[in-house]
Amino acid sequence: MRKVTSHLVALLLANLLTFTAFAQDVSISGTVKNSNTKEAAGAVSVTIKGLSTGTFTDDKGNFKLTVKNLPVTLLISSVGYELQEITVSTASQHVDVAFKPNSALGQEIVVSASRVPQKIMESPVSIERISAAAIRTSPVANFYDVVTTLKGVDVTTSSLTFKTPTTRGFNGSGNTRFNQLVDGMDNQAPGLNFSVGAIIGLSELDVDNIELLSGASSALYGPGGMNGTLLMTSKNPFKYQGLSFLVKEGIMHTDKRQRDASAYHNWNVRWGKKISEKFAFKFNMELIQAKDWQGTDYRNYGRSATNGAVKAGTRESDPNYDGINVYGDETSVEIRSAVLNAIGVSAPFLKNFIDTLNGGRAINVSRTGYTEKEVTNPNTVNFKIAGSLHYKLSQNTEAVFAAYWGTGNTVYTGSQRYSLKDFKMGQYKLELNNKNWSLRAYTTQENAGESYNTTVATQYFNESWKPSGGATGWYATYSQAYLGARLNGLSDAAAHTAARAAADVGRPLAGSDRFKAAYDSIRKKPIKEQGALLLDKSDLYSFEGNYNLTSITHKIADILVGANYKRYVLNSEGTLFADEPGSPIGINEYGAYVQASRKLIDRISLTLSGRYDKNQNFKGRFTPRATVLVKLANNNNIRLSYQTAYRFPSNQQQFIDLNVGSVRLIGGNQLFATRYNFAGNPLYDFEELRKGNIVAVNTAELKPESISSFEAGYKGLLMNDKLLIDVYGYYGQYQDFLGRLVTVQSGSGVAIALGDTSKGNRLSIPVNSADKVKSYGFGASFDLRLAKNFTLAVNAASDVLKDVPTNFVAYFNAPKYKVNVAFGNSGFGKNKRLGFNMAYRWTQGFLYQGDFATGNLPDVQTLDAQISYKFPSSKSIFKLGATNLFNQYYYNAIGNSQIGGLYYLSFGYNIY
Amino acid sequence: MKYINKSTKTSFLLGLAAMLVFSSCNKDLEQFPGTPAAGISTDPALGDVIKANADDSLYYRMIVKSGLLATINNKTTTYTMFVPGNSAMRSFITAASGGLVPPGAPDAVFSGFITANLPAASAAGIVSYNTCPQALFSSSIPSTFPNFQYPSILNPAPTLSALLRLTTFPTTNNGAWLNNVPIVPALNVVAGNGVIHHIAAVVTPPQRYLWDRINTDAGLTYLKAAIIRADSGTIAPGTLVGALSNIGANLTVFAPTDAAFQATLTGAIYQGLVAAGYPAGASTFATASALASSPTVFSNPLLYSVLTARTVQGIVVYHVLGTRAFTNNFPTTATLVKTLLNGGVPTHPGISIKATFGVPFVTAATIKGLGNATDANVIINAAPLIPDPSGTSDQHYLNGVLHKIDQVLLPQ
Repeated sequence: MRKVTSHLVALLLANLLTFTAFAQDVSISGTVKNSNTKEAAGAVSVTIKGLSTGTFTDDKGNFKLTVKNLPVTLLISSVGYELQEITVSTASQHVDVAFKPNSALGQEIVVSASRVPQKIMESPVSIERISAAAIRTSPVANFYDVVTTLKGVDVTTSSLTFKTPTTRGFNGSGNTRFNQLVDGMDNQAPGLNFSVGAIIGLSELDVDNIELLSGASSALYGPGGMNGTLLMTSKNPFKYQGLSFLVKEGIMHTDKRQRDASAYHNWNVRWGKKISEKFAFKFNMELIQAKDWQGTDYRNYGRSATNGAVKAGTRESDPNYDGINVYGDETSVEIRSAVLNAIGVSAPFLKNFIDTLNGGRAINVSRTGYTEKEVTNPNTVNFKIAGSLHYKLSQNTEAVFAAYWGTGNTVYTGSQRYSLKDFKMGQYKLELNNKNWSLRAYTTQENAGESYNTTVATQYFNESWKPSGGATGWYATYSQAYLGARLNGLSDAAAHTAARAAADVGRPLAGSDRFKAAYDSIRKKPIKEQGALLLDKSDLYSFEGNYNLTSITHKIADILVGANYKRYVLNSEGTLFADEPGSPIGINEYGAYVQASRKLIDRISLTLSGRYDKNQNFKGRFTPRATVLVKLANNNNIRLSYQTAYRFPSNQQQFIDLNVGSVRLIGGNQLFATRYNFAGNPLYDFEELRKGNIVAVNTAELKPESISSFEAGYKGLLMNDKLLIDVYGYYGQYQDFLGRLVTVQSGSGVAIALGDTSKGNRLSIPVNSADKVKSYGFGASFDLRLAKNFTLAVNAASDVLKDVPTNFVAYFNAPKYKVNVAFGNSGFGKNKRLGFNMAYRWTQGFLYQGDFATGNLPDVQTLDAQISYKFPSSKSIFKLGATNLFNQYYYNAIGNSQIGGLYYLSFGYNIY
Repeated sequence: MKYINKSTKTSFLLGLAAMLVFSSCNKDLEQFPGTPAAGISTDPALGDVIKANADDSLYYRMIVKSGLLATINNKTTTYTMFVPGNSAMRSFITAASGGLVPPGAPDAVFSGFITANLPAASAAGIVSYNTCPQALFSSSIPSTFPNFQYPSILNPAPTLSALLRLTTFPTTNNGAWLNNVPIVPALNVVAGNGVIHHIAAVVTPPQRYLWDRINTDAGLTYLKAAIIRADSGTIAPGTLVGALSNIGANLTVFAPTDAAFQATLTGAIYQGLVAAGYPAGASTFATASALASSPTVFSNPLLYSVLTARTVQGIVVYHVLGTRAFTNNFPTTATLVKTLLNGGVPTHPGISIKATFGVPFVTAATIKGLGNATDANVIINAAPLIPDPSGTSDQHYLNGVLHKIDQVLLPQ
């Protein structure tokens, strides 16, 4: 190990020292313009043929370059243009380049599929790319939503700004099987364990490109990428310069279904500046402010079971009503055993009568809840600020210091609905990028702000104005009033209504000053103090390095090596994790990979990768990957791959210790065995106990879950390069699937009894499923370039889960079929200044399984559209757009917000 | 290529049209049909059913007088009503009028008496005591021992608690009964908001406590003295007097007559005297008999060592059940039941009780203590259904029922 390190250091030094030889004499300058529109072409690469020296044009299309001697040949290149060579022989010559646009398909370069730049046509695994141009012409209101138009992508929408994409199933509002990297940094909140892609990360104007790797991708990017990896890359200020801004003003809730019509504001500013050939910086800011979509699913839910279901009944008809987006009504008490039987003892003359009530069966009663609208902040705010400093240590080595910080209010669905209030996350990195290697150190600093669990907050709120228990408590009042009403001959339903009215005397009216004051005091109190506040200040520290040894090893193979180290510091002061104030929990993880690729014969390339990862709490894991690319003809490739991926149980699955109302979620770390005395007070299967069976649960050591996946695909350009086809099929097998099991301990500490279904301690523990589940699916996309710049893109995908054992809750959450159709034109009409785009999406209904709620989702169709007008001289665009044009409310997870139409008008300046 | 060129506009329009067609409504939340809320029955209400039945006309008058007609006709509520037919009502009125309304008078006279002379409070007391919340079909009334305690809608002290109720004691042992009154056909007459059972006599709500009877009955002076002796040294509310005066209690008292106490005490004192060195024979027996000749025997300091408070308490509580049992609920074969003595001696087998039924009333009932050589007899009422304070069996009080018996029950 030491020897390897010293070699690496030597190599690094060698590269760093080259900048001393960085001295030039002759200066040449020029301007690059689009030959069609005559608009200045910014961010165009200008390099000197035969050398690695080069620069980019600024936002006015100008470039300046110093060379040792003349003449030189300049290579002018940019995606979407034809490569041009220009010979410069005199220093005084101003180089004017008429740059010819090229609308040919499949010309894009991707870097994430093999960690080295390659043509998208030649990627050995399925990959999708979104360019800045695609974002520019998309009708969506937020760039992140473009991801959902890619083939095979499913999205779970928690709220306006909280969207969770994935591929190949297993989506949820907080998806831990899908990695999201922003400029190489893991974008997952270290404590809350959801990726904050849209909330804290890039802002729209700074997105260079987004690459999506569908399916297992741990072999290159480390644990977590079971189902895919999304890589977002920002614009380098050396390349993208100038001041740009984008203002979107929109309107939502136009039909007043959820609330009065309200404004949508989205303001973006980006400023990139190259001070010299060595130093550049950029600054970004984005603000989104709106009144959020709401969870308005007031259907009755059987929530106490692990496999809950929507059921009949309303607050009026079911005394134990538990509305999905109604909170506080999760508190449920069986009043016969809790109150009425005691009345029967102290007033024996009522005992027989009490025994006849409800046919002698249990009388479960829930407290009166408040709707989501009443307990969550209606304002969703998202403010992002980011900046970076770039310094070229040498021609080939660039040092980058970047900071990304964001804060926001939004709503997120985990095991409950969480109101993320003043949530903050910062990511800071220091990076050295060389042609052959890179070194990166970054940290993620999370602060949950005033985020709270709406269920728990409302439950405690109810306790604050009238405690459930006690002789004058809510349930005593309710039960006595119920009994009294029954004794007066009232029907069961009428007696429950009367009882609720009696118990709810003094219930604060939602929205009243009294309500707000009391609710605020609860939500601002930590969970440990009977509040609902999450005090999460968890951090991640990560170091990684990659080295491309190809320059040394190219005779044998192209070889890439890399290693990383991660340290999580979980700090919730005991409100989320099993940590204590002042002593956070540390988790160390490290890994290394090697990749070798080689052309076997002329048309066949083989790449082998392997990666080893170790988490201090789990055994190490090795994940191999093998890919084969068969070139049928130019721009016609078949790809085959075998990939494995796995993930360590998430930080929450390891260390959470959180009461979520009906149950306490705990982690799988061994410390919980002591904390909750498993030895002295063993765990039993809660569901079985409800059925009357006493089944002990043995807590086995938690293992990482894994998937192995085979994939075959074809990508080709047909019809004179006017049609790009991409198809794939995959088959995957999941093993040691991580899920949760609700267990129960004896409430009295003695032997378990059937009564412990209500009196026992309910603990939800993470478990590995012994069952293997298989998934398979396919996807196909057709991109067609029509005449006059019209484009038509159609994609469809299917994901299916097979061999699911009975009663196994897989949380697969993927529609069997989904289709996207997009039709547009980026420039037509007079001077090609008009543009439009329409995107239609259809997803088939499916059974959505979630910790919060489970139920059937119907088919969903949405249509987004935009029409735009360009001013080429200032690179400005007016856009009139709509997402969910027909305001057809839809939801893609049970209990999540219902999304309606958003209509906006935007103006962008210096957009390129 | 040319084709594509030409068809650009067409395809644009087609695409637009297709998208508009596709974008039909997204479905709203899937709903789950529940059981429809129970509607209001269209059948006639309880009051109307009673009104329509000619043989219930006098009771209907009493309902009107009681002011409860609207209550029982409210179809959003459900009740069970025990309704005495006109024959039973006539007997009741004759008694209530002190014989002013003779048994043979025309119904108009009975009806007129109810309207003009029966106090509304009395009518309301009777009707509400014979009305129970919810529908109690005879099939839901158990035949097991003791009587099934079921609340009426009569709250004797609403200011004390809204949940206070006087209770009824139906049973289906050997027929069907409300307290000690036979339920007669027709049973289970269904109305739009409840069910009606007919009863053979008017069941009046109890007015007094058990202690009121024991304290004032000239034939139970020994029992009264014994209870006071048993309570000496005990602080209220743990006293027997307290329990016998408490509305929350639910008791059955087998009350040995004075003669029974005298006989038992004479024997016991005699044996005590002989054991203490008195000569066996008539003179000592006469002494014992003299000592036992008055209830003051329990407060005679000379006998404190024999009739200790604890001993007396043990004997008294052996005569009391913690449940309410009318004789018609007694088993027909001798069966052991627990007494309050089991509170202190949990393993004690209790007393053995048995009843013999005529048609329909009990003609004989016996109780046997563990220490008794023979059965004690319940002194059955001279005629059926003689109420407090004149009867000797099935005497109903707010907190229990009392049966006189002809022996003192001995626990060992």
